Amino acid sequence: MLNANSPLASGPSYSFATPPNQTSTNIKQHSFNPYTDNGGSTLGITGDDFAILAGDTRSTSGYNINTRYAPKVFKIGEDDGTGESAHIVLSVVGFAADGNALKERLNAIVKMYRYQHGKPMSVKACAQRLSTILYGKRFFPYYVHAILGGLDEEGKGALYSYDPVGSYEREQCRAAGAAASLIMPFLDNQVNFKNQYIPGSGEGHALEARKATPLPRAEVEQLVRDAFTSAVERHIEVGDGLQMLVVTKNGIEEIYDPLKKD
Amino acid sequence: MFIARSEYDRGIKYVSSFPESRLSSTSNTPPSTFSPEGRLFQVEYSLEAIKLGSTAIGVATGSGVILGVEKRVTSTLLETSSVEKIVEIDRHIGCAMSGLQADARSMVEHARVESQNHAFHYNEPLRVESCTQSICDLAIRFGEGAEGEESIMSRPFGVALLVAGIDEDGPQLYHAEPSGTFYRYDAKAIGSGSEGAQAELQNEFHKSLTLQEAETLVLKTLKQVMEEKLDSKNVQLASVTKEKGFRIYSDGEMAEVVGRVPTN
Repeated sequence: MLNANSPLASGPSYSFATPPNQTSTNIKQHSFNPYTDNGGSTLGITGDDFAILAGDTRSTSGYNINTRYAPKVFKIGEDDGTGESAHIVLSVVGFAADGNALKERLNAIVKMYRYQHGKPMSVKACAQRLSTILYGKRFFPYYVHAILGGLDEEGKGALYSYDPVGSYEREQCRAAGAAASLIMPFLDNQVNFKNQYIPGSGEGHALEARKATPLPRAEVEQLVRDAFTSAVERHIEVGDGLQMLVVTKNGIEEIYDPLKKD
Repeated sequence: MFIARSEYDRGIKYVSSFPESRLSSTSNTPPSTFSPEGRLFQVEYSLEAIKLGSTAIGVATGSGVILGVEKRVTSTLLETSSVEKIVEIDRHIGCAMSGLQADARSMVEHARVESQNHAFHYNEPLRVESCTQSICDLAIRFGEGAEGEESIMSRPFGVALLVAGIDEDGPQLYHAEPSGTFYRYDAKAIGSGSEGAQAELQNEFHKSLTLQEAETLVLKTLKQVMEEKLDSKNVQLASVTKEKGFRIYSDGEMAEVVGRVPTN
């Protein structure tokens, strides 16, 4: 997507700005790129009895900000707008148009499922379905990194992360989007306690790693805030607002916190 | 121009030798056309076709469902194992049939595809009710399409199914008809001996039946309505349980259960 002739070559990619490529004397090569990178970041963390999905609300095109409030996290399968009937959340980051199309499609499928089978779709079933949706467009993919959250059959927090063509995995935490490379190492250390050892437990290989345990909700919420305030400082495509959807057995709670608008 | 009213009422497909009358809409009644009394004769006839079929019985208990069918051994030269009236749809769903067996093949094929598709898309087994619904969706495709397009089926299916399965709601038994309607039953008999068998089931069924008791109830009921003398060759049993899923009884198991049926 990055074009050497583009004035934005060193900045964020902006597909519409791609000029015709002058290769030699009078041969012009035109191209159309159907994708745009709309920046932003998302992140999900699970606890023992909850799952949090968060995303910033900035939407960008190159150096432009399209809007300061474009949600990237959505409730899936609610039938009345109150969110009481929904118990699955989806976050999409990458190309916003594809993200919205994917959200709309999954939402319709989850609603139809309840009519057809007389029960709400489990997160496990929804995870598999999302994978087949994404793979169904294997040769013209939805250009997004999706994360699906909810509670599993035992009431434990469940989180599934996807690549654009539907490869997926259940995880404890995952960051995606523009600032994923900034946030993910922080999560590895603070959620899964990577590179944390118990002091004085041994020398060299005998040194005992700190065991990862599910974190309480308040702590996770604070981790999410810290992750995003830090990302805002180091990535220009992240900012404006932080939206969090918290899934518990009582339903889905929405939290909005402002982020720096610079 | 006009055909006899009685023929028209019965929905008989009238083909005139005069070419111009083929243009007349009343002379060529499709199977999905209502009679003036509001009946779909082809559907009603298909229900009659089932009453000619061999008897099939299903009994649902708390621990599983038992399906039993009568195999009509019309000749001593007939290889009885080739009579397939109980088939597997998925590991957790099976069905017994009565009526035109060839029709059941396409219904079962449809249900199998539907079940595999569901597992592929949702990573979970298809519910028994949803499976039955999908079979019935196929069964009502005998009419014209919504835009008046030609139907792929010339008549309704001539077979009824007893769909037995187990899912998160426990063991269940459904009866699916060619009309596309289906109901859930604790115990149901279809086919030629269904009236007598249903009355017997009505008397004998209770909620606390064990699987073993259900086996003998099915055979005992079949025995009463069968023309031939019941033995381990001319009946077939299958069960759907949480532990083993759908399973057709082996010759040995059949002999054991038949031995348990009271002789009178």
